[in-house]
Amino acid sequence: MVNPPVCSVQLTNVSYFGRRPDGGRVRLLDSVSFSAKAGEITAIIGPSGGGKSTLIRLINRLTEPGEGRIELDGRDIAAFDPLELRRLVALVPQKPFMFDGTVLDNMQMPFRYRQMAPPGADSVDVLDVLSLAKLDPELLERDARSLSLGQQQRVGVARALITKPQVILLDEPTSALDRRTSDELASTLREISHGKNITMIMVTHDLRLTQKVADYCFYLEAGRILEEGRGAELLAHPKTAALKAFFAEPLDQEG
Amino acid sequence: MDNQGLVNLSLLDLLVAYGLVLLAVVLARLKRIGQEGQMLWASLRMVFQLLAVGYLLHFIFAVKSPLPVLAILLLMGVFSLQVIGGRIKTKVPRFYRVVGVSLLIGCGSVTFLFCTLVVHYSPWYDPRYLIPLAGMIIGNSMNGASLAAERLGAEMRERREEIETALCLGASARQASKPALRNAFKAAIMPTVNTMAAMGIVSLPGMMTGQILSGTEPMVAVRYQVTIMCAITGAVAITAYLIVLQGYRRYFTKAHQLDFDQGRG
Repeated sequence: MVNPPVCSVQLTNVSYFGRRPDGGRVRLLDSVSFSAKAGEITAIIGPSGGGKSTLIRLINRLTEPGEGRIELDGRDIAAFDPLELRRLVALVPQKPFMFDGTVLDNMQMPFRYRQMAPPGADSVDVLDVLSLAKLDPELLERDARSLSLGQQQRVGVARALITKPQVILLDEPTSALDRRTSDELASTLREISHGKNITMIMVTHDLRLTQKVADYCFYLEAGRILEEGRGAELLAHPKTAALKAFFAEPLDQEG
Repeated sequence: MDNQGLVNLSLLDLLVAYGLVLLAVVLARLKRIGQEGQMLWASLRMVFQLLAVGYLLHFIFAVKSPLPVLAILLLMGVFSLQVIGGRIKTKVPRFYRVVGVSLLIGCGSVTFLFCTLVVHYSPWYDPRYLIPLAGMIIGNSMNGASLAAERLGAEMRERREEIETALCLGASARQASKPALRNAFKAAIMPTVNTMAAMGIVSLPGMMTGQILSGTEPMVAVRYQVTIMCAITGAVAITAYLIVLQGYRRYFTKAHQLDFDQGRG
């Protein structure tokens, strides 16, 4: 597999408004600006309900910002065809949905959606992403829903990688995993990013994961970026009271 | 129609039949098992409602121009739309437009084709044929439409994760919602399909029974029943298909984004 050209992601003054049940608008993201450097792993940490998931859903246009500009290598993503953008910018949901059928069927879905001939079980494309995601090729014939949550998460990553995206967005990749499995996934993600030179943006409240993989880190709370810094440095020396308070809280490992 | 075998019912016959209800009421009263009030009230309602409809049909059948007949059909359509609207709690965005257009096209086209190509009678608007045939087609389509609309809304919500995962993998809105569309369509046509499959074994259809009682040759009645069931199936399928096809689009933006608040109000 030829390494794809790497891609940076830049958000400028992005705001997002949600709807309340009574029909009113709530500002969920408030003038968020940040950039994720090409080929790096950028982590966005912060408490639940702070707008983290919304933030990454904006980057592959699963949803649209109310205000602001999002760029991929300097090109406004609003100018992309959304279906083409989602090939370049893959998103792995918090709990990747497994479609009916085998793991191979699941890996072939991105090709079927695009009316392309799907690669077979012994193709280079499939074997390559399987080894990246540390999945045994024997699993290909298994019913995808019979796999463990950790394996399903890896299938989600492999399935997203198979169309050779330039950016991967991960939503709470370890939230459903136990400590050992999430440590293994962390090292896998690090190898993928650095080995294939893929830009990764993950949102998480898992500080262990952040510490292991993040090159750069943003702290998002109540829709605003309150602090940023190089990964290890930010974790070791938080400056704002808000981030110190977040570190002091016990990890809420929600499912 | 061949009315040779028809036995007319006199007023006395009706009174004797009603006597059976009264007998039941008296028995309920004596044995104190209750419900006599409800039985009496319901039977009286039935008598007056059917008498009213009978007179109404008597006048409608005398109508000799197409416009009033079409107006009655439209009224039946609007009424069924109202019934569906009342039945469904979580509505597809722009519910009345989606369901109304689907009912109009599905029932309208099938009724028209059925009356012109299958049952040859003239004039084409003869209310004696058009009203009962259209009534059966609209009534069944109404049930299909209500099932399709309700199931589609439920499927889109239940499959939210699946749909968004598919979108992330490059699916178009149509591709991502395909499983939901299939299930909604299946739910809509299942009752009609089941009715057809059970027909003649589990039940003798009402229309056929009625025709036989009023003196029609059984084989003629069977032919009528077969053709009307085919028309109903066609109308239900077209209506349901149009509803799911228009309906799913209301859940997406142009940029293939799932949005449950689209086009509300």
